[in-house]
Amino acid sequence: MPRIVRAYVRGIDAMNRFIGRFAMYLIFALIGVLLWSSVSKTFFNPSLWTLETAQFVMVAYYVLGGPYSIQMGSNVRMDLFYGAWSTKTKAMVDAFTVLFLITYLVILMYGALSSTAYSLGYFGLEPVQFFWDLLKTLLTEGPTAAGEKLGYLERSSTAWRPFLWPVKTILCFGVFLMLLQCLAELFRDIGRLRGVEI
Amino acid sequence: MSYEWIAIVMFAGMMLMLMTGQRVFGAIGFVGAVAGMLLWGTGGVEIPFSAAMKLMKWYPLLTLPMFIFMGYVLSESKIADDLYRMFHVWMGPVKGGLAIGTIGLMVLISAMNGLSVAGMAIGATIALPELLRRGYDKILVTGTIQAGSSLGILVPPSVVLVLYAMIARQPVGQLWLAGVIPGLLMATMFIIYIYVRARMQPHLGPAMHPEDLAEYEQVTDHPVRLNYIILAALVLVPLMILAGAMATEHALGLGLALGALSFATRRNPLFYRDVFMKEKYRLLFSGVLPLAIFAAMMVPFVNGWTSLVESSAIGAITAFLAAVLKGRMTKEVFETSVRSTLGISCMFMWIILAALAFGAIFDGLGAVKAIEDLFTTKLGLSPWMILILMQLSFIIMGTFLDDTAMLVIVAPLYVPLVGALGFDLIWYGVLYTITTQIAYMTPPFGYNLFLMRAMAPPEIGLKDIYVSIIPFAAVMVLALALIMMFPQIALWLPEYVYGK
Amino acid sequence: QSTIKWRMQTYAGAALAEHVVKPAIDMFNKIAGDRMQIELYYADQLVPTGELFRAMQRGTIDAVQSDDDSMASPTEVTVFGGYFPFASRYSLDVPVLFNQYGLNEIWDEEYSKVGVKHISAGAWDPCHFATKDPINSLEDLKGKRVFTFPTAGRFLAQFGVVPVTLPWEDIEVAVQTGELDGIAWSGITEDYTVGWADVTDYFLTNNISGAWAGSFFANQGRWEELPEDLQTLFRVCCDQSHYYRQWWYWGGEASLRVNGDKMKLTTIPDNEWQQVEDAAVKFWDEIAAESETKAKVVEIFKKYNADMQKAGRPYRYG
Ligand code: NA
Ligand code: NA
Repeated sequence: MPRIVRAYVRGIDAMNRFIGRFAMYLIFALIGVLLWSSVSKTFFNPSLWTLETAQFVMVAYYVLGGPYSIQMGSNVRMDLFYGAWSTKTKAMVDAFTVLFLITYLVILMYGALSSTAYSLGYFGLEPVQFFWDLLKTLLTEGPTAAGEKLGYLERSSTAWRPFLWPVKTILCFGVFLMLLQCLAELFRDIGRLRGVEI
Repeated sequence: MSYEWIAIVMFAGMMLMLMTGQRVFGAIGFVGAVAGMLLWGTGGVEIPFSAAMKLMKWYPLLTLPMFIFMGYVLSESKIADDLYRMFHVWMGPVKGGLAIGTIGLMVLISAMNGLSVAGMAIGATIALPELLRRGYDKILVTGTIQAGSSLGILVPPSVVLVLYAMIARQPVGQLWLAGVIPGLLMATMFIIYIYVRARMQPHLGPAMHPEDLAEYEQVTDHPVRLNYIILAALVLVPLMILAGAMATEHALGLGLALGALSFATRRNPLFYRDVFMKEKYRLLFSGVLPLAIFAAMMVPFVNGWTSLVESSAIGAITAFLAAVLKGRMTKEVFETSVRSTLGISCMFMWIILAALAFGAIFDGLGAVKAIEDLFTTKLGLSPWMILILMQLSFIIMGTFLDDTAMLVIVAPLYVPLVGALGFDLIWYGVLYTITTQIAYMTPPFGYNLFLMRAMAPPEIGLKDIYVSIIPFAAVMVLALALIMMFPQIALWLPEYVYGK
Repeated sequence: QSTIKWRMQTYAGAALAEHVVKPAIDMFNKIAGDRMQIELYYADQLVPTGELFRAMQRGTIDAVQSDDDSMASPTEVTVFGGYFPFASRYSLDVPVLFNQYGLNEIWDEEYSKVGVKHISAGAWDPCHFATKDPINSLEDLKGKRVFTFPTAGRFLAQFGVVPVTLPWEDIEVAVQTGELDGIAWSGITEDYTVGWADVTDYFLTNNISGAWAGSFFANQGRWEELPEDLQTLFRVCCDQSHYYRQWWYWGGEASLRVNGDKMKLTTIPDNEWQQVEDAAVKFWDEIAAESETKAKVVEIFKKYNADMQKAGRPYRYG
């Protein structure tokens, strides 16, 4: 395997492991928010923000933890036939079928970008272009100019009305990490077919 | 493409993808997303992501990581070890008593976690080797553990019933209560089966001698005779009052009735076995802890002080604190619990995410209507026929789908139909849960079977596992039939508690 | 020529949609026949309600029935959809405001900017509280977690109400699981129709608005592709739906207050409730200060209510 591919797989593994291990402690944030919710409800006025905050934490939890869960092999497979195959056969089939998984993630990623662009006030049909322009403006003309490119910022339709771009950005980021991880899995399987364990 | 063809192509495509052994969420998501892109028209490509927003808004899902965490804390921190010893010492002297005790253990474990995996893990790692060492028949033991762990999703809390509640839009509290009596009924039927079997063939489950029990330290040599029924009443009656499930005067009546019963049975050796009191009480106390965790979670919820989601967090933190207080929350236990919770939660969430997209696209392309049409108009079946066909289809699908996938893919298609046919959706939730459990343990393929195979020691072969579950599956089918014939078995308790 | 197919999602759940939209769509499909068919979907069925606007604007869904507030429309008029506090007293006020006082033009302009066709606005029921515990004074509202519309929730928060927004189909269950103490989302007709009367015990006769205002919308491009006669047919069916709701709610509210046996009625005395009405006047001014368009709409509300007051009975009593 070319050195760069190995470096990629190891680098992605390390990064996603780090992010996933950060995400796994979010369970305590989630417990904390929900406990506060029950405490505030019992002793004071119930808080407006607890349920939605818990939902945002939950999103970060599973989407940032996703790639790490792939590393841990937590994602179930139907092992009716799969379970009986040799490592090599598994690698061969996986190297092919992971492309389907990647297709799904690409479509998910596109929707995430489009929805995030919308949450920043872009109503057109070219979200990728929008982000590209935004990035260019940010780099060449600074944050103020980039800020002017934004339109109506989407808010959640609740009385608390939080902005939605932060959670959508986390989703974009998480799906992107998932894509990187699945590419790493693909390379790993190709490596196995050539008799190299990365 | 006609609606029927879309339904067939999408469903077959998904099955085919699943067969390849790719991760379940990838298989489901791929078929949904590609169908959305190719068949929907403008904007279909956005649906997989809009499913993420739908999932975020599904607030009962917040309970999922909580119950998973709770289950891991309890099994990793070995709080269940004492529980097992409790049943071991109390039930050991009865023929087949260790197996009966294992079922009792499973009931308690079920009350503390929402999945059947934890029960399976505890049963396979703690109970299984012990029972084999004591000369119990390996087939009886294997079957007992598989059957017992199936109680995990029937006795509250239950993750599967939370998911079902979201899909069927039924109250989780009522569904959980609906699972209580069928769960206990099934446990009782398992126990009866084991007891009768061990009486007829004592070599399957030999009774333990008091000397065998002496290896537990602090056993005194002054056996005291005590009736189990009194003990059960002492625990059960206050608990039911506390949970608000029973008025005080009824509980009093129940206590009296049980007292009379214990008097009548005072000569039956099953109920007055020699008891080495000190150790037994110590262990009994350890059995109270899980009950306390259960009560800390359920009492505020049933009384309406906290919401379901909040209660799940209370349960998680109580289990965690209990492990800390017992000195069992070591670094390893902490690490494993937290990490495994992330792994399993992610597994669930990504499957649900993919399945929500699949479902919305399937629905928006008209395939749901095609299926409804097929069952009701084209086949012209009676409601009960349709119901039974659905149950059978679950058993077939249980051979290759995992429980979450089955729930999020198939239940959205079936549940509206069940409602339209005039059946009670709470009752159906219980039927559904038992059916899937049967599906996971019936040969040749089943999720629980594979788990068992992975966890069992080498002397237990696949054939043993297959053979072992036959009588228990038969008991479950019998329980299922009883609940179908007498819906009140499931519906009495929720109606009693929630009756306005 | 192939049949034109539309997907339409309403923000109402199936039980409610049976009255508020399904008859009109069935009628449309029957008349349009092979030329066009609209497939109707219910609350959160294809996309979550919070994403409705986005889905329609992007073309994932072709048409939508909702109020502006619930579907999180990114326009200046969003706050006026659903229940803008005390904007109207009777359900007839809504069509008058839109057709005779110039709201149609404002809505049309605002939605044209964001790629959506505003087809037709109509009225639903008044907004009342349905709760598990009785509400006899403003004090009783404190700390109650209530399912309501975003803007109504913002307004009610000053009285200690804790507004919660959940998926519509989950409301009944949320009341049972303790996530909610009550609902301020509809009149008594809906409470009975959708099953909320089974999980709550009390109905407060004071309302924070006399009529819900919401609309039918369509994706701009998809609307323009329709031949003119189908556009007209769609408008006619919308009007049919508006008309059905006028009598269904008006009669239903009275009948269930008098004959319904699932909920007990309670009332906060008029002089105490006046605090809420006064707060609404302040709320209007706050909203008007946010933008020019909002100021224009508030101005229209004020003008309209003043006219009704001057007109006297039966338009306004007292
Ligand atoms: Na359980
Ligand atoms: Na099976």
